[in-house]
Amino acid sequence: MIDALIASTIALTVALVPAAIGGAIHRLSGIVNIGLEGHMLIGALVGAVASAWSGSWLVGLVLAATAGAASGLLVNLVITRMRGNEIIVGLGFNIVALGVVGYILRAGMGVSGTLRPEGLRRLPTIDVPGVADVPVLGALLSGQSPMFWFCLVLVPATAWLLGNTPWGLQLRATGALEPAAVSLGLRSLAIRDGAGLVAGLLSALGGATLSLGNVGLFNENMIAGRGYVALAAFYFGRSWPLPTALACLLFGFFDALQIRLQTGVGASADLLSTLPYLAVVVILTATALRELRRGSRRMV
Amino acid sequence: MTSATATDRPAADPAGSIPCRIGARSVTKRFGTLTANSDIDLDVLPGSVHAVIGENGAGKTTLMRILYGLERPDEGDVLVDGRPVRLRGPRDAIARGIGLVQQELSVVPELTLLENLVLGAEPTFAGRIQWSTAREQGERLARDAGLSIDWDTGAMHTSVAVQQQVEILRLLYRGADVLILDEPTAVLAPAQVTELLAMLRQLRNAGRTIVFISHKLAEVVSVADRVTVLRAGRAVAHLEHDEIDADRLAAQIIGDNEQPVASEAGGQPGEVVLAVENLTVRDDRGLVRVDGVGFDIRAGEVVGFAAVAGNGQDELAEALAGIRRCRSGAIRLGGADMAGDDVRARRKAGLRYVSPDRKREGLALQLSLRDNAIATPDLSTISRWGLLSAKRARSRTSEILRSADVRFGTIADPASSLSGGNQQRVVIGRETNGSARVLVASQPTRGVDVRGVAYISELIRRARRDGTGVVLFSEELDELRDLCDRILVLHGGRLVGELPRGATRAEIGRLMLGGQAATDEARTA
Amino acid sequence: MTTIVESRRRLRLPSLGSAGSVLAPVVVALLVGAVVVAVTGNDPVSIYRTLAREAFGGADRVNATLAAATPLLFTGLAAAFAYRAGIFTVGVEGSFVAGGLATAAIGSHMDGVVPALGIAALLVVATFVGLVVAVLPAVLRAYARVDEVVTTLMFNFIASGLASWSVQAFFQERGQANSATAMVADAVRLPELAPPGQTNVGLLVALAAVAVYWWWTRSTTLGFELTTVGSAPRFAVAQGLRTRLVVLVALLGAGAIGGLAGGVHTLGIVHRFTAGFSAGFGFTGIAIALLARFNPVGIVAAAILFGALNSAGTTAQLFIDLPIQIIDVLQGTVMVFAVAQFALPRLRKRQAVPVATT
Repeated sequence: MIDALIASTIALTVALVPAAIGGAIHRLSGIVNIGLEGHMLIGALVGAVASAWSGSWLVGLVLAATAGAASGLLVNLVITRMRGNEIIVGLGFNIVALGVVGYILRAGMGVSGTLRPEGLRRLPTIDVPGVADVPVLGALLSGQSPMFWFCLVLVPATAWLLGNTPWGLQLRATGALEPAAVSLGLRSLAIRDGAGLVAGLLSALGGATLSLGNVGLFNENMIAGRGYVALAAFYFGRSWPLPTALACLLFGFFDALQIRLQTGVGASADLLSTLPYLAVVVILTATALRELRRGSRRMV
Repeated sequence: MTSATATDRPAADPAGSIPCRIGARSVTKRFGTLTANSDIDLDVLPGSVHAVIGENGAGKTTLMRILYGLERPDEGDVLVDGRPVRLRGPRDAIARGIGLVQQELSVVPELTLLENLVLGAEPTFAGRIQWSTAREQGERLARDAGLSIDWDTGAMHTSVAVQQQVEILRLLYRGADVLILDEPTAVLAPAQVTELLAMLRQLRNAGRTIVFISHKLAEVVSVADRVTVLRAGRAVAHLEHDEIDADRLAAQIIGDNEQPVASEAGGQPGEVVLAVENLTVRDDRGLVRVDGVGFDIRAGEVVGFAAVAGNGQDELAEALAGIRRCRSGAIRLGGADMAGDDVRARRKAGLRYVSPDRKREGLALQLSLRDNAIATPDLSTISRWGLLSAKRARSRTSEILRSADVRFGTIADPASSLSGGNQQRVVIGRETNGSARVLVASQPTRGVDVRGVAYISELIRRARRDGTGVVLFSEELDELRDLCDRILVLHGGRLVGELPRGATRAEIGRLMLGGQAATDEARTA
Repeated sequence: MTTIVESRRRLRLPSLGSAGSVLAPVVVALLVGAVVVAVTGNDPVSIYRTLAREAFGGADRVNATLAAATPLLFTGLAAAFAYRAGIFTVGVEGSFVAGGLATAAIGSHMDGVVPALGIAALLVVATFVGLVVAVLPAVLRAYARVDEVVTTLMFNFIASGLASWSVQAFFQERGQANSATAMVADAVRLPELAPPGQTNVGLLVALAAVAVYWWWTRSTTLGFELTTVGSAPRFAVAQGLRTRLVVLVALLGAGAIGGLAGGVHTLGIVHRFTAGFSAGFGFTGIAIALLARFNPVGIVAAAILFGALNSAGTTAQLFIDLPIQIIDVLQGTVMVFAVAQFALPRLRKRQAVPVATT
């Protein structure tokens, strides 16, 4: 039972982490990307279709990432070049993405909501010989998909890149104090474009993890708000990679718990689903109360 | 040597032998109808500290921006190493070794000091930032400047003084040997000022060239090798080291054309309507801007505050109005201490406020004249049970517009449709409508045409006759001398002197610039 | 890090001249929709013609359009009310759901009550419940300046999670499919205006609400202060207007109107609360408020437009092979481009920090 819970926690976390890290990167550059849900959806669909078409899960992931990169860049362009309010643009984009995907499924592929592409290759499971039989550790480390290992590398890699490369430093500077960055000659627009692209790319990978995972199909409702959970995760983690990933783990655990409970005591599942969002409200309140003392000017 | 009169242009470099490291030749810059710089020469010798001084609006910041490539001169040239150049922008300036530290620091609070140092010019190897190299270079630069920096602290946890030091070191790191500093001591406490001046001396001794803007005579006297005085966009004096003293500088800055004071002996001022005790106000960054200020205002008198921009007068005005919270002290309005109360409570207690920011605070530009006229806590007097009386709103608006002689179309027109002068009349008319106990007017004639200035002055005199206690903040010395019964001078957030009606511009100016009051000098003599 | 979002919070609406800025997003949406449609081999022109016919071609069609527009009138009004004060709530969806559930839960036990009284009581409850959903974001914003966008967004999910849970825990009607309450009593159903069409008294309530909004903002002192706070916040502070009260009223008012919307939807159209109670009405309301720019006539017009899209999209499916998702595409695109500025991005180099010239 514990093994099964661990397995589904991991599976859900692995879908959340890339999106949350992508969102964190975009946030660090100064843009709040509400559209993670839409990017994940696009990634899930493209991943499924591409995997079936090419017969390779890797191609599926790569094309999903490409599609996500394009949509991420597009959203960023609308926000920065057309000065569209980032919240509205993100929300609107999610609606449009859902609509386009739903439309293409029905009008283009003749299915109503669920797509089971012929020849879809799911993500393989990687067995680690030594640990496979160890009770908890085995469930943890063995039989995981490549995306699991990708996430394990992504989180520390992102943290390292943010602290030790010019890209990371300039990204953080642009988000923290854009006028200062500009006066130092940094190209803030290009930096934000890049961050948006990465956000879309990683979110799409997260989405593809869902469709190419155990289920092996695409359903238009399969993202089920996880894009917003990823948003909650990086808000909760203040956009630092490790806390964000841990938040994903926490929320993934609740997600797994909720699914299990749905088959039994249905009620509490919905209550659990509200926890990530409550956590964000708590964090925001705490931060605001702390910053309340600082300013001296009265404002609305 | 130097000429003290403003008529013939003083020679910038009498000897003319050493090419200037950076300079200007006949630089003129206009912004629309305003001429910010007019035919300015500047000659900064390498390895020297050169101060550029002048009062508000003299053109100092514009000149610095031209030297850094942020603006292009309309006429004349920027000189680098004695030769005219065309600077294409800050990148170009930095490439020539010129760096500018503006008043708004560009240190990123969320990064460490070391990260701030190398931002945008990181030492890398195979894509990876070489932190040890960065640290080494940072320590060396700090040592050369006589500083000790804890590179790993987050910038937001350090004082503004340290942030400023890092900003200067950052320019040195990028290879600048000319440092232009715009009012660097404006944000520093006295002890930190001493530290900064020591650093500048050290940098100069190491061969760097420093140009800095200041209006604080003590600093200039203490550290400058040469001084250029700007007045109304022109360079009126160039002083060499041995000619630099506070009195001479003050005289150059203020100029010596005294306008006669329109003498209006007002009636005797009445009881105290506003009593301020030991008021301390910080700005949004936590810096103390008003430091233990105390004064009384009586009914029927106009008290003026004279200060060079940035010495706390904006924060003081906002604190009196209730827009800015004060850290400590008391503000007594008719006896009751309202220091903790918001704007609404103070307005209800009879305080009125004319903001220096007409477009964002004085008016709601997109709303109608009627809306602008009635937007006060007095809404209850033109409404019943929460419902606005359109008729009374109309009549209140007409009353205000008429009393201020505003030129307008209809009261439904947006406030943005009026000229600047008329807009300000609406503001003053609204704030002097009905009898107020205290009127705090901050830069009431800023951006107003001549006719408007005269009318607004008359409205202030009218308020005084009605028994209002008027607190007037103005950058126009002549306006203060014309309207005020007495003038208080702010410098560095502190009250440094009080002058009666009839004070000369020189007397006021000297106090504003940090000099001693004439009486004090006489006393110590 | 909250400072980043705060500086964005000023919703700068593009000023293209009112007709242009209303039309432009709609035109762009139609173009985008046409592309999506064409890509899958359909003819955009005939599809749009069918939609127009299904929306307005005949009394029964108009009836359906108006019925679909009713919830949108409320949610658009709720959003516009808050945005007028510069308060950027996205939480109307949560209030809508909560109000609808409360109405269904209580209304199913109200057999035999006097209709007028029962309906009035239920709508009051719905309004109150909708308001309650907004209380925490309102207090946080008014007293601690916590960004209302994220808090209201979070509360949408919290409210819908709580709603689903309470349906399953308390109000589940036995014998029904998952997550549905019992039908509300006949006595409290909103009477239809032109049976058998679904348009009901709720439409009149909605129009009345819009009228009250128009009157309130023009004629009351608080309404005046609300408009001023939204238009010139620093001015409002400097003039001593009741800014904190305005913030509270804006958020609580939007929640209340959203709750009322949910109540009307329950009593008028669906008569019970089920999963999927709201087809994103709250978010569509945002698009309506943005298009209409606080203008009451604009709110009505935009609500009818989106209502037309919804109802036409549903029925058009019977005649042509048009998945209803195209409607989402159109609505979402309108939303995105309603806030975008249509000035072509000029490729000038970004200036450094502008400094006051002295």
